[in-house]
Amino acid sequence: MSTVQGHPLVDDYLRRLERAAAHLPRARRAELVAEIRRHVDEALLEASARDEVTVRNALERLGEPEEIAAAAGPPARDRGALELIAMILVAIPGIGWIAGAPLVAFSRAWAGREKALAVALCLLPVVLFAFGFVAVDGGGSSTPLPVDASPASPADELELGSDDGGIGPIEVVVVLLTLSAGPLAALYLGTRLRRPPAPGMSSA
Amino acid sequence: MRRMEPGEARNTLSQLRRGAVEYCVLALLRDGERYGFELVRKLSEVDGLVTSEGTIYPLLTRLRRDDLVTTFWQESESGPPRRYYRLTDNGREALAAFTADWIRFRDGVDALLTKGGAG
Repeated sequence: MSTVQGHPLVDDYLRRLERAAAHLPRARRAELVAEIRRHVDEALLEASARDEVTVRNALERLGEPEEIAAAAGPPARDRGALELIAMILVAIPGIGWIAGAPLVAFSRAWAGREKALAVALCLLPVVLFAFGFVAVDGGGSSTPLPVDASPASPADELELGSDDGGIGPIEVVVVLLTLSAGPLAALYLGTRLRRPPAPGMSSA
Repeated sequence: MRRMEPGEARNTLSQLRRGAVEYCVLALLRDGERYGFELVRKLSEVDGLVTSEGTIYPLLTRLRRDDLVTTFWQESESGPPRRYYRLTDNGREALAAFTADWIRFRDGVDALLTKGGAG
């Protein structure tokens, strides 16, 4: 359908636009790219030329792909109820994470690495917890927990590791870490929520 | 309080421009439907209104979502089908309201800028 498909400059431009618009819902992104492609078609048709200078001029008038994608802004839902619920759930250790993680993953308000970091924040104490207990159960005299730098006796740790039900400093720290990881992750997600589009564009 | 930066006048202007462009689109549709490329070129002809033509397309999407315009496809003799834009009743109302507000705003600012409010 397109007359400019295959022109390397146009293809390159549209690829950049596609990347820059990665935060938009798939349908909206596809629509935007199609609109811009049609525009270039029309511009070249109007100029009745498709030499490099004409193509470059048409693309220059369009502006930077990043600018166009930014003008499209985040979808309204991205600062909506879904994200609020996701953040509240993530703040609750255990069951909250399990319920919150898919919501965070589903949301387009956060970039992939922001989601990964939030999940890592939640998982860190769990991993430390498991690692610490495995190390103790394995008969090791030290665990990878930083609190172990304190000169606690190996006997104490062995006792903590076994199921005696004693509450020692390591367990307190692990529990505190576990409890604070969720709120920290939620806080982090809150600060990384995508900003609303440029002022004046969305008011009608 | 924030100090006024030297580049801020241009910044203010670009925000004013952003806010005004969507009503310029509605105004271009007042007397009949137009297709996207045509709209963009018409806006580009106005000095200083549009710096990047591509940013008009997200704006058109927003206008459609806000039910200020509707779109339809129509064949063209010269190439692929074109997407046409048409003003809705809501769009017509929004345009009329903005036009009245804008004229008041423009006259007031003009009076202050040119005469310093004297007289």
